[in-house]
Order: sequence, then structure tokens, then C-alpha cells
Amino acid sequence: MAKYSMVVDLDLCQGCRACTEACKIENNTGSGIFWMHVFRFEEGEYPETKMSFLPRPCQHCDNAPCVKVCPVGARFKREDGLVLTDFDRCIGCRYCELACPYGVNYFTWQSPEKSHYQDVVDWEDDDLALVTGGLVPPYKNPDLDLKYGEEQRYTAGGNHAKGVIEKCTFCVQRVEKGMNPACVETCPVNALIFGDTDSPDSPISHYLRVRQPWRLLEEAGTHPRVMYVGGKPPNPSLKEIERPKAEV
Amino acid sequence: MPKVTRRKFVQGSAVAIGGGVVATKFLFGPLETLASAGTTAQAGPVEDVIATTCWIGKQDCGMLARRVDGRVVKFEGNPTNPRNVGTLCPKGQAQIQALYDPNRVKWPLVRTNDKGTTGEWRRASWDEALEMVADRVKEVRDRDPKLVLWQKGRSKAKDFYDDAFVKAIGSSKLGHGAFCSDAGYRALEYTLGTHAVLHPDFRYCNYLLSWGWNITNAGGNKFCWLTWPRHMVKARERGMKITHLDPRLRSAGPFADTWLPIRPSTDLAMALALCHQLIEQDYLDRPYLKAYTNGPYLVSANGMTVTETVGEGDEAEEIPLVWDEASGRVTRTDEATDPALEGEYEIEGRPVKTGFQLFKEHVAQYTPEWAADITGLSAAQIRQVAQDFGSNAQIGSTIVVDGVEVPYRPVGIMAYHMAQQELGFQTARAMTMVPMLVGAVGAAGGQLSDFTWKIHKNYPKFEKLTVEDPPYDFMLNKSKYFPINTGFPGIVAKVMQDPGRYGVEELPEVAILHYVNPLNAFPSQQDYLDSYGIFKFVAVVSPWLSETADYFADVVLPAATIEKYEGPISATDQYTDAVTLRIPPMEPLFESRGEIEIYMDLCEKIGVLFGEDGYLSVVNKELKLTDTEFALPLDQKPDVRDIFDRWAHSQGIDEGIGYFEDPAKGVFVKGPVAPTKMYGYVNDPPFQGAVHRLYGASLLDAQRQMQEKGAEEIYWQDYTALPTWRAPTMDHSPPDYDLILISFHQIEHKQSRTSFVPMLAELAPGARLDMNPEAARQRGIADGDTVIVESHNAITGETRSLVTTAAFCDGIRPDTVGMPHHFGMWTHPQNKGQGASANEIYFTGEGYMTNTADQAFHVKVKVTKGGDA
Repeated sequence: MAKYSMVVDLDLCQGCRACTEACKIENNTGSGIFWMHVFRFEEGEYPETKMSFLPRPCQHCDNAPCVKVCPVGARFKREDGLVLTDFDRCIGCRYCELACPYGVNYFTWQSPEKSHYQDVVDWEDDDLALVTGGLVPPYKNPDLDLKYGEEQRYTAGGNHAKGVIEKCTFCVQRVEKGMNPACVETCPVNALIFGDTDSPDSPISHYLRVRQPWRLLEEAGTHPRVMYVGGKPPNPSLKEIERPKAEV
Repeated sequence: MPKVTRRKFVQGSAVAIGGGVVATKFLFGPLETLASAGTTAQAGPVEDVIATTCWIGKQDCGMLARRVDGRVVKFEGNPTNPRNVGTLCPKGQAQIQALYDPNRVKWPLVRTNDKGTTGEWRRASWDEALEMVADRVKEVRDRDPKLVLWQKGRSKAKDFYDDAFVKAIGSSKLGHGAFCSDAGYRALEYTLGTHAVLHPDFRYCNYLLSWGWNITNAGGNKFCWLTWPRHMVKARERGMKITHLDPRLRSAGPFADTWLPIRPSTDLAMALALCHQLIEQDYLDRPYLKAYTNGPYLVSANGMTVTETVGEGDEAEEIPLVWDEASGRVTRTDEATDPALEGEYEIEGRPVKTGFQLFKEHVAQYTPEWAADITGLSAAQIRQVAQDFGSNAQIGSTIVVDGVEVPYRPVGIMAYHMAQQELGFQTARAMTMVPMLVGAVGAAGGQLSDFTWKIHKNYPKFEKLTVEDPPYDFMLNKSKYFPINTGFPGIVAKVMQDPGRYGVEELPEVAILHYVNPLNAFPSQQDYLDSYGIFKFVAVVSPWLSETADYFADVVLPAATIEKYEGPISATDQYTDAVTLRIPPMEPLFESRGEIEIYMDLCEKIGVLFGEDGYLSVVNKELKLTDTEFALPLDQKPDVRDIFDRWAHSQGIDEGIGYFEDPAKGVFVKGPVAPTKMYGYVNDPPFQGAVHRLYGASLLDAQRQMQEKGAEEIYWQDYTALPTWRAPTMDHSPPDYDLILISFHQIEHKQSRTSFVPMLAELAPGARLDMNPEAARQRGIADGDTVIVESHNAITGETRSLVTTAAFCDGIRPDTVGMPHHFGMWTHPQNKGQGASANEIYFTGEGYMTNTADQAFHVKVKVTKGGDA
């Protein structure tokens, strides 16, 4: 069976957040929710200043603390490496959110109608429905409501119902069609590489043969399947700049 | 008809007024023009894909629209498009929200209140609205078509809008270039003959001077952001080094191998010092300078090139003279075998020098030590840049590219909006001279500009600049103010406020504003507030209600966003030639329409659609259909799709438009660009026969004509044969205006056209003032404090101010503050709370524009804590 991983090449990343946006549209996430977040950092005093970028999807850990703490088995690890959430089973206890050292879990505080840019769009407006077909958001991806994997569970995020936890799924709905996750596909400089590390011929395996990867919070023993090449692990001297409107 | 107020309008709640008229044109039901499998009733969602082209940004990347039951659910990059190869930037992704934006203009609007304040509107039919516009255009056009002004911000089908529509009605035309890079375009048209600014040959470049290039946030010459970083990261993987000259590090992000934080507005001093150093360190490509520049031309003591007249009457030609080393005498340049590059000679007892000799003597004063004081860099840093540039140039070397031996100079400059400073034209000239000295222009790995070396019509025109007496037209063409004149909305605004001051007798009466928002997007806001009300009639063609429309439009015609046929659109990445079209992924939303349809209808009503000089005839010419079997008949209004079908056939594509509508095809890839096209040295003739102008005699001649006509010094002072440093006007502001304000572009936004897209505004939410922490602390300002930024006009003494939030940033010079330029809008609810635009406190006009009538984006400001956010 395939084992999926992602490589983030920080020597290429422009910090442009196209991945963030591709993810949000593919997965129909609401405002303030960034399954794929890109940090922008500044370090050092003028003129000895350096900048760096750090895309941060779910790390899909092989030793995932979030899986261990889930009291209902909604958060689980698949054979192919994906760490997923069955939104049909999730009770919204937020233990996973506390257990994860990477901050990739988002609790859905609001219904989709309210979480999708409600401050500027009234999705219930009758006239707007003429344009949206009554769908929230109007670019609603029907694949998110389907069951995936051998387990046939609801793992693609669904309609982001109020009261459950959601996070990056490596775009399970795309991966099962043999496609790349949306973030990988859109990256303008191809800084994200996704694939089967068990297959020696996959592009990601080629990549890992020539580049030495590192992982976020390696010391936490989580064994992330997301690996970084280039750049360097973040440290406390980094100052985050240009944060999105919502806290991450 | 009931009134629709702006508030109701933007809330999207006014739709029901007039009674359910809107339901017919939406995305339900089959698309008439597309082979669509997704719209018939079947069990389960039906998916299909439409190949189309991005609309939101500058460069039109190839896209695939994924549709479910005929509704677009996602845009992805089209892998077959060489320009973006399957990828999209954040704007390309998020534009789906712009498409479905309920706050678009839904139907034609007619103003019901006075202009100069927030608009109130009534809904009109297309027929009524077009009739109103046509009547006003006709009335003015009958007197003088030039008093109709067509002004664009962004045009996505130049052939149909800028060319066919403008030519058909004979109007005046204004673009956005004077706020973009047009002073640089004029500088390169003058210097190299190319219609472009500077970019390197990334395929082979080893040392890049990234000069004010906003690498990680913005586009560059000809391309938008996405394609340039793709080339840049590949070049860096090859080992290319980047020296980054910019007051802000944020532009380069992690991609600067060396960051040189230069003081804003001093780039001319830096370029001149680099020329000084390349000469001193003897990094000179003498064969290039002799063969392809006017460096050897002999110049007399009065600064004019010495020529000999050959032929008579209309055939007469002035041939420059040179000193021929081979024969040891003065000869015509076409007869010389070895023209001297340097030296002082005599012609009939009078002293002459070569242009290069004058250049060398001129730059002798611009030492690194001199430039260090001005630029804020050290003399050692400046020397090092020159040495790195010169040594990496490998002067004299060649490589073989696709079987063709090409001079190899793997050094270049990437610069884009560098000319938008007061000395911008001469800055761009001097920056071009840096690669000229080492022979890198048109070399493999070296300095490129346009994608071809086609000589622009301005190149011969600039050989002799014409300065006439008033009265002038309202653009001030051929005036004593701007012998080289880009066409500048800022100066038009000044002229409209005080035509007598500029010797102008007639002002434009009707404006057609094509997706342009001067009131927000151009400096200075006050000048547009004070002038656009003078238009007797303003029609706006735009998908959104711009601030300019809000205050000044009489009629608003809702344009579609991506839901229309448009093109032809280049899909080249510079190394592969390709072309594509924009294909509507669905029917236009609301009652919006594609601009080609709008202009055809307008032309029909004005009476200029049909016949020999009509719109259709010009479209034939622009698309090169004239006298072919595919030419549009001149007596019937075509379907827009049919126009592109004919064009596609004319390109030798048998399937016609069907080729582009087929998502498996979609992009017509013609193949690799030949080295003989790309590299000027190996063009036939080299550089297509252009002689690169190191010495600009006609600029000096223009200065003298301007003086004779009584122009003030501020207009003529930068018309010098060689780029000459002076302190910018803003430096004369009082010393308490001790900071320089710059504005910058963020990757999430495109000018002022995206700040209302919720998903983008979430990532880059609003205005801020980037400030060096030390500079802030000296002023008692903490990170996040509300601050007042007050600008000062060194000519008029006027001050302007805005309130924003200080953002600490170690990647900016202590004497410089920066603001993103995407905000300050008010018509769209998403814009609420986004804060101010620097354009509110920039100035335009004298002292704050170039000598070629282009905007400068620099002003001296003081920043103090306080103010109401």
C-alpha cells in the first residue's frame, strides 16, 4: 500500500499563500480557518535582517498524539499515512486540538452559513440564491460529503457542521482519485511535493534521495509525514509578520 | 422606477425592486455557446471542465474551471499553458469569490443624485443606458472626437478596446502606464528601441541585480508575479546569485544573497556610480560599444552629434560621423571600419569628442564615495556590486544556444517600477547603461527587455523631439512641458483644474472609464476629486462600483468578470511561444456582459460599427483578418464567439474556436522561441538595426527648445544628453518631514481590484505603516500604535495626512516608511475598516512626476503618534 508524505521545499517557497487559498476553495473552509497556513517570519535587527516562510499543513504524524486522545475514534490513522477525522463521529471535545503540538486543528464554532464571510455576504438572501443555487459556499465541492477509504468513513470535511473539529486531510477526496492535494497542485514554484514514499520511483522518493529533510518539532516524537528541506527549523527569535485577520 | 440607493445596492438587497427580472440569465440551463455535458438533468452531480484564462491579475494564466452541474466550483492552473504550467497564485485561486460576489454591479445604473458625492442609482435597461452614453458621445464627437476620453485601468483585450473602440470613435486615450512603468518604457524606447523595461535571461544568468524588484509579492516586466519567480528559483538552483537593492527586504524575502537597503529616490546616483566603477575597473565590452551604440559618434562642443547629409530632398539622411582608427580620419559611420570609442578629435579645426568620451568624463564625478552619501550604502558595497557585475559578465565569451553561437554575459538587472520616481526616466536610462557597458544587452544570460528586439515607433521619433507653442491639447502632447509624454491622468487632472496655466483651451467633455478607479488607485486623490466633476458626462464600464463611479459616473455599465470570450492572450513564458483565449466558464452573471459586446452595441448606437473605418473594420486590422477569407463582414454585427472562431482559423487552427474550448487543448503552443529572435546580438541585422543611444543629443536639443519657449526649469532640467544627478524636489521639504513614504504591492492583492475579495482580504486585511523599530522608538511609537502620517509638498507647501497603524519591521530603512497600496476604498462592504491608501497623501504634478509625465511614488512625511483610527 502507498504511504503518502509531503515535502515542503523552503528554498523555493515564496510565502505567497496560494496553497492556503487553493485549500480553502477545494475544501470549502470558512473564514479564519487555515488548514494550510503559511507563516511569514522576520529575524534579526536592521540591517542584519533575514526573512523566511513556513507552510504548515497537518503533519499527518505516524505517532499522532491527536489520534491517541480521541475518545470516540473519530480521529484515526490510515494505512496510507493520512490522519483523518470522521466528522460524522466527532463529538467536538477538542482533545485533539490540545494534544497536537502543531496547532492544525480548528473547531467549527459556527454553521457554514455564518462561517463563510458572513460579514460581507448574506447567504440567505433570496436574490443571492439565484447566483449560488442556494449553496454555501457557492463553489461548494460535492466530494466533501462522500465516504472515503477502506473504512468508508466521512473524512473529507463535509459541510463543516458546527461543533466538530476539522483539519487538513491531504485532500483525501483528491488523493483517492490519484490527484495531488490542492495546495501541491497550485504551488507556483512547485515547492510542495506529494506522493508515495514507499514507491522508489515516485517524485517524492527521488527528492528525498538528494535532499536531507527535517521535521517540525522532531523532539516531540510525533514522526510527521510532512518533511521540510532547505531553510531551518523555526526558533523563538523569529517574529511573525503579516498575520491573517483571524488568529491561527 | 424606484430609486436604488447605494447602501441598498451594495447590500445586494435591492434586487427585487422592479420584480424578478433576473432569473433568466444565470448559470442554470444549458450554455448556448459551449459544449456542456453538465447542464442536463441526470442522477448525481455531473462534472466537466472548461479551459479558460485567469482574469483577476495582470498576466492571464491558463486555467481549468471545474464545473459541477454547470456551476464553477474551482479554478486550477492549466498544465498545458507554458506561462503557469498548472499552477495559480492566491488571487487566481480566490477569484472564484470575485465571480460569485453578490456586490457586483448587477445591471446598468443611472445616477439620480448630484455628482461629487456617494451615488444614488436607478436601474436601467441596457438599451436605455447605452442610448444615453451613445447620445452624449455622438454630440461631443461631432464637434471634436478628441474631447471624448477613453480611460482604462486594466484592459484584457487591447485589440478590441484600446485599439478598435478608441479608433472607431476617434477619442483620446489614457492608460495606467504613467503609474506603472512607462517612464522606464520611454527610457528603453529611447535607449535601446525596445518597448519594455529590464529583465534578465534567467535561463543562463549567474548574477542578478534585483533592483527594486518585489520578488515575492509582485510582477515584473511583461509578466505577473507567478512566471518570474518560477524562472528565478530555477536560476538559483543553477547557482545564480541575487544582490537586492531595495529599501525593504520584504520584497526579496529569503531570496536576497546580499541585501543593499538603498535610500528611496537615489537609484540614479547608484547607477551612475556603477557606470563609474565599471569604467574604472575596466569592465567594458568595447566591441559592443563600438558596433551597436552611438558611443563612437562625434559630438561637437554644443552637445550635438556631428552628421553629414547624404542624398537630397525627401531622401536626405543625416549620417553621424566617427573617427575611423583604421584610416586615421573622420568618416561617416557607415564607411568606418574601426570607429574610435574614446578620444578628442577635430573637424575643420573645431574640437569634437566621441559620445563615449563625454560619458566617461561625465561619470568621472560619480565616485562610490560620492554615491555613498546619497544612497545610504557604503562605497565598498558599491564597488563590490560593480566588481561582481563586471567579473560575472565574462566579457568576450560566447555560448551555443540551440545550435547558434551567442555572446554570453550572464549578468542582468531585474527592475520593474523603478522609473516611478521623479528622476525615473534618466534613472532607467542609467540603469540600462550598466549592462550596456559590459555588453550584456541582448546576450545569452544577459540583459533582455521586450521578448523581441522589434524597434518601437518611438525610437525613430525620439531622434528629434518636437516642442510646439501653445495652445496644447489637454494631454499636453508636443508641449514645452513634456516633449516626451506618456499620457498622464495626473497631469490631465491638473490641466482640467487650471487649463490656462498650461496653455490649454479645450477640455475633454465625456469620459468612458474602462475598469479604472483614479479616485482610489492613482495619486493624488485630491486632484481627481477636483477634476473629474468637470466632465460633463462620465460612463463607467466595470464589474464593480468603483469609488470613481460612486462619485462621478452618470451611467454604469456592468461588465462581466471571467464569464466572457476575450483575447487573443499570449501564453508565452518567454522561452516558448503560445497563445490562448478566455472562454466563458458560464454565462455572465446578473445582467453583466462582456466588454466586446458592450462596445459593439455602443458603436452601433453611435453609428461607427459598420463600414470602412468602423469598429469591425479596425477589429479586422488588429486581428490581421483584413483581406483574408476570415475577415468579418462590415455590414453585420457578429457574435463574439464567431470573431474568435475566425481568428482561430486565421491562425491555421482547423477546429477554430473549438480548439480553445476543448479542455484537453485550450492553449495553442507554437514551440520554443529561437535564439535568433531572443538574443539581439544574433538578430538579423543585430538588434534589428537599432543603434543603442548612450548619448542622448535629442534630449539636450529638447531642453534648449523648452527654454526657448519659456518653460520653467523644473520641466527642462532633466532633459540632459547624459543622465545627470540632482537631489529630488521632495528633499526641499522642511527637515521635520524626515521620512520618505513609499508604497508597495502585496501578493494577495492586485492594485485596488481585489481588496474586497473576502478570502484575500482575510490574508492581507488592511493598511499599515511599516516602520523600522528604532525609528519608531525615537518618535515614541510602539508596534501597533495609531499614527498620523503627514506629507509635505516641497513646491506648493501643501500638507496632507492620513491615520494608520504602525507595524514594526526590521526589514526597512530607518529613514523610510512603507504602506501597501491596496486599500482606502469604500463602496464595497468588504472594504469597511481596511484603512487608508497612500494615494491620499501623495502629490502629483510638478516635483512629484517625471520629466516624461509619469507619477513619482515618493514623498517626504513626518510620522507622529496619535489620531483616530
